Amino acid sequence: MEHEKDEHIEDPTIDTSEDIDVDEFDDEQTSRDLVVPGEVLTEDTKNFLPGRGTIFNKDRSKIISLNIGLKQVKRNYINVIPLRGFYTPRPGDKVIALVTDKNPVKYICDINAKDRGILKPKNTVPRGKPRGYRGGAPDNHDNSTKKYEIGDILIVKVLSADRLNKPELTTVGKYLGKRRDGLVITIDPPKIPRVIGRSGSMIKMLKNLTKSNIFVTQNGRIWLKGEDLAHERLLIDAIRKIEKEAHTVGLTDRMSEYIENEKKIRGMN
Amino acid sequence: MMNIKRVISTIEKNYILSNLKKEERIDGRGLWQQRDWSVKSNVIASAEGSAEVSLGKTQVITGVKYDVGTPFPDLPNEGVCTFMAELLPLASPLFERGPPNEQSIELARVVDRGIRHADCVQTKKLCIKEKKAVYIIFVDIYVINYSGNLIDAGGISALTALISSQIPEGKWENEEVVWTGKYWKGDTLVNELPIVLTYGKIGDIIFLDPSLPEELVCDGRISISVTEDKITSIQKSGFATFSIEEIEMLSKKSIKFGKKIRKDLNLWQYKL
Amino acid sequence: MPLIIKDEYPEKLFRDDGKRLDGRDKDELRPIKMEVGVLENADGSAYLEWGNNKIYAAVYGPREVHPHHLAKPDRGILRVFYRMATFSVFERKRPAPGRREKEISMVISDCLKPVLFLELYPGTAFEVYINVLDADGGTRCACITVAALALADAGVPMRSLVTAVAVGKIDGELITDLSGIEDKAGEADLPCAITWFNEELSLLQFDGETDLEEFSKCLGLAKNAFSKIYEIQLDALKKKYIEIQEEYSRGEKK
Repeated sequence: MEHEKDEHIEDPTIDTSEDIDVDEFDDEQTSRDLVVPGEVLTEDTKNFLPGRGTIFNKDRSKIISLNIGLKQVKRNYINVIPLRGFYTPRPGDKVIALVTDKNPVKYICDINAKDRGILKPKNTVPRGKPRGYRGGAPDNHDNSTKKYEIGDILIVKVLSADRLNKPELTTVGKYLGKRRDGLVITIDPPKIPRVIGRSGSMIKMLKNLTKSNIFVTQNGRIWLKGEDLAHERLLIDAIRKIEKEAHTVGLTDRMSEYIENEKKIRGMN
Repeated sequence: MMNIKRVISTIEKNYILSNLKKEERIDGRGLWQQRDWSVKSNVIASAEGSAEVSLGKTQVITGVKYDVGTPFPDLPNEGVCTFMAELLPLASPLFERGPPNEQSIELARVVDRGIRHADCVQTKKLCIKEKKAVYIIFVDIYVINYSGNLIDAGGISALTALISSQIPEGKWENEEVVWTGKYWKGDTLVNELPIVLTYGKIGDIIFLDPSLPEELVCDGRISISVTEDKITSIQKSGFATFSIEEIEMLSKKSIKFGKKIRKDLNLWQYKL
Repeated sequence: MPLIIKDEYPEKLFRDDGKRLDGRDKDELRPIKMEVGVLENADGSAYLEWGNNKIYAAVYGPREVHPHHLAKPDRGILRVFYRMATFSVFERKRPAPGRREKEISMVISDCLKPVLFLELYPGTAFEVYINVLDADGGTRCACITVAALALADAGVPMRSLVTAVAVGKIDGELITDLSGIEDKAGEADLPCAITWFNEELSLLQFDGETDLEEFSKCLGLAKNAFSKIYEIQLDALKKKYIEIQEEYSRGEKK
């Protein structure tokens, strides 16, 4: 009855070909200049334009920062890569959701954003036939919310999101669906790219060294499952360290050193 | 672990439970191990006595204020010591602002009973004139950061605040209170050192000092206040049930742990 | 040390050597210590010690508005809850919030609104909880200063920080940063706050009596104090990150 087979995830490697701003922290142009809200980034408004996290002042004579973050100059844009912030859903994001409520027509999910996400039952079942074939509905079209329970952890994709409406989610797709074991931790969403690393290098390193499965999502939540509690705790400590040191250079090398070191201290192999 | 609101995820519940079954806890402690204590006294200049206590990441600040009022008619020669607890919304998104809710009242009540029944606060000494004027001592507990087990932290902070307090001594002269210019210190007020210990229970497993994720998933808790060799109050909360053998075992353990905490923290050092 | 003297009004607010009762010069600030990210459960937080004032601030948001009818369809709302602990003042305060606390909450909220982009978050609320654990004059200014830090720490987009200070007149002399006793016994009290993106005042309250010349001198004093406090704010925000950066840049070259 259950759709366990469809949902069981063999190897939840992050598909880094997706358009995630993975390497913005490691970018050549990203300086290590820490800026705070209101700080003047440049007075040369002829050659530069405000990009992400920045704004002109009233008389357009200066570009100022809106966030606490790192200053980045990209072509003629000045950006600020934030160090703190909240998650804003965008269509296509894969996020970890927690079912907090349900009624006969929809699930309501906490996705660590300002609005709670809506998951409709039609988006939890893959469509068997191409839609519109002689106008008939797909065979396994199911319109009840019996599949998931309150308290379930789901990996979902954001279908639509805008400022005014609640984001709509789906569990149909590769790697998506319910998680039956493991653990979820939350970090600052702006630091997620750092946990992924340039083309997934950090994730690969963490997985190899701690022999764990990790799934990192854009809303700041990380699902993980290791061999035993000791490995999981090491991994959590490592992720917390990445979160703390997200704004420094050479993080991947330092982290692998740190994990090797900790393994010796904790007597793990 | 996850900064979620009122619903706890099923996998987190299972994760904590399956590790507890192996006698392992997610923060690496043993079943009968408390988190680290840190105690500071005299942190609030406006209060007569104050303490900042953290147990792991749980942080509470307690202040002592006094007032002079008329005694209760049935206890004409005894002062009054009242406890209040406030769960500040800044301590956790789980706390809401507004009038005290069940959780904060329970915290204040359990701390109150543990201290009251241990003959800890010497209310008889807090009388200035029988039937006319007695001291009213307010012990107000503010939770600054909530990371599980507020009762133990609240108990120690209330005790430390009382020990570190100094209250002006008054005399009854010509039908009014006159200040002598001297002060009553903590050793006049406090006689015993009751320590409250809280245990969580999930399924058949009992453990000391539940952390936040453990407290959110556990079936129930039991708080036991002990003095050097006596039990002074017990509070069971949550829907868990405890067998008589378990209670006996926990009482014995509490006396033992109480002795250790009393020695480790050495609360009398905070007397002014 | 607990304050045991009844807070009576002293006859003179200056010592014989011309300094103030706590040993400060006329334009000297009390010692200020700030720290951000002190509370792990809040989205952003800050702690401030300003003389004897001890204040925690925490920010949650943007999140759903509760009760729902307060939500605005076209913009977000900023809700500030300024609360004083019962033991923070000389006479024990009643635990329930009073009129003074509600007014100050509103004043702080209005003061911080100009720097936020509330129109980008319709239907949601930013909630700022400020708890004064120990009070000794100038708490509303201290609260604005610390609330701005907590908002920046939460990653809320802001046009700039906000800095506040109180200036006033005691015994006929103009002074900066009034302490509790100077506030009560002095002649005039002018709490004000500056938003740095346009360098204009976003909080201005005045109680007392001065002529126009003195009033403009007061504003001059405030301006000097603003930049001193702003330095401390910037330092507090950056310190946490720069310390970690420096720790690792010593051995390595970029």
